[in-house]
Amino acid sequence: MGRRSIRGSVLCWLVLLPLIVLVLFPFALMLSTALKSAPEVLQYPPRWLPAHIDWSTFAAMWKAAGFGTAVLNSFAISTLATALALAVSVPAAYALARLPFAAERGYRRFLLVTQMLSPVLLVLGLFRMAASVPFGSGTLVNTRLVVIVIYATFNIAFSVWMLAAYFAAIPRDLEEAAWIDGCTKLRGVIAVFLPLAVPAIAVTAIVTFVNEWNEFTVALTMLRSPEKQTITLRVVNLVAGRYSVEWNQVMAATLVATGPVALLFAWLQRYLVGGLTLGAVK
Amino acid sequence: MPWLLIGPSLALAILVIGYPFLEILWLSLHHVSPFGVVRGFAGISNYMRTLEDPVFLEATLRTFEWTATVVGGTVVISLPVALVLAIDFYGRGLARVLVMLPWSISLAMAAIVWLWAFNGEFGMVNAILQRIGLIAHPVPWMARAATAFPVEIGVGILVSIPFTVTIFLGGLASIPGEIYEAARIDGAGPLAQFRWMTLPLLRPFITIAVVLNMIYVFNSFPIIWVMTQGGPDNSTHILVTYLYMLAFRLGEPGLAAAVSVLMLAMILAVTMVYLHLEERSPA
Repeated sequence: MGRRSIRGSVLCWLVLLPLIVLVLFPFALMLSTALKSAPEVLQYPPRWLPAHIDWSTFAAMWKAAGFGTAVLNSFAISTLATALALAVSVPAAYALARLPFAAERGYRRFLLVTQMLSPVLLVLGLFRMAASVPFGSGTLVNTRLVVIVIYATFNIAFSVWMLAAYFAAIPRDLEEAAWIDGCTKLRGVIAVFLPLAVPAIAVTAIVTFVNEWNEFTVALTMLRSPEKQTITLRVVNLVAGRYSVEWNQVMAATLVATGPVALLFAWLQRYLVGGLTLGAVK
Repeated sequence: MPWLLIGPSLALAILVIGYPFLEILWLSLHHVSPFGVVRGFAGISNYMRTLEDPVFLEATLRTFEWTATVVGGTVVISLPVALVLAIDFYGRGLARVLVMLPWSISLAMAAIVWLWAFNGEFGMVNAILQRIGLIAHPVPWMARAATAFPVEIGVGILVSIPFTVTIFLGGLASIPGEIYEAARIDGAGPLAQFRWMTLPLLRPFITIAVVLNMIYVFNSFPIIWVMTQGGPDNSTHILVTYLYMLAFRLGEPGLAAAVSVLMLAMILAVTMVYLHLEERSPA
């Protein structure tokens, strides 16, 4: 509504200012602390600008957190879990968007219930399930595999909602024309529908990936050996249960771990609004 | 044909969500050793012990306080933010990116950064408040529930805003602009337009935001676990952190299972009641 005006714009920014300050505060604090030397971190009152910039914190953190391995773990787990979630969600979303079927309402209810049964509510059952399945020389506990399967499953509802909303917006005439032209059902979908659905699938994939990258509870419960842990878990372990915390290293770690994801999200957010809400409300 | 398409997702969800759920239901009715060995049928004794446990009762009340204040605060802040972000103004793209930014950070990491910000000895929050004269001495925020829990609520609200604003923006985008034109011609001011047009049309989106946030916040584990682990002296536990403590720290799997089942009953009941009230009340 309305036309852009300088006065109106200033007013809008003023209304948003308190929230934006609170949003940027953690990033400023991460950067400020990460660049300080260990003795300067333990000075009161703290100052925003470090007396001298100490880049060595990043190298120290990289070693203390096993950062390289942890990032690789997070990346592998999130990528494979996203792939698995999409492999089962894309067909389901296609069914919701295209084929009216008797159980549709029931299926949507089922998805909502899976959202209520969060991983943390089920964490004891998930742990016992993993412990009861033999795998290699032990069980599924302390394997990245079980984390991948659990992440994928708990992201199904969200992915299906989002994909179904986008799919419903793709005109169905195109597939139908392909079928009339003699394509089999499956070929029509693969050749005509899927290419049009790629942007929707990509957005859903990134949101799912970020959810999994940030997950904490399941990783905390399942991944016992440090060399298998995700970056979120490793960073928390730099703080939790420690007698003395190297805050400059911790902030360097959170900065490096969140920075790339924040940038990805900043670029992506404009695509989020439509899909998310339509899917959830229907 | 539809069954073939939804089949794989259904199978995975039933296996990975359904099976653990039944396992918990079964555990909650048995005596279980600290190492998870099932010792025999317990009837409802795990539930009785849970319901008589003062920490459980306090954590339940605190969970409702936590859920109500975080969801309430989130909706109250997100609504005006979304209304502003729906206006076309200079730098709106940047403003949207900034408001959405907390979404990209894991709750655990956000909790760590705020834990450091509220550090009692070297924290930046104390330094800022002292400089502007609001406090005379550094406050040990996280050492007492009276200050730690409100801080956790604040972090909870801040991280819930982006998702909620996103839902509201979607809702606002779905309202056709022409009806405002018509209202203006009929002489409706901005406030009347908001009260009688925007709010009713936004109603389903507010409902879905409240329901989804209620579920997420009720189940939210990382913020409190990372910031206080339910301490000091069990004074900041909500049900999920207490449940985790029972299961993996105190060696009480039977009680933890009972807490899980009771929590599920609570969230189902609250969601049903809310949806029922929403359906009955006029827009």
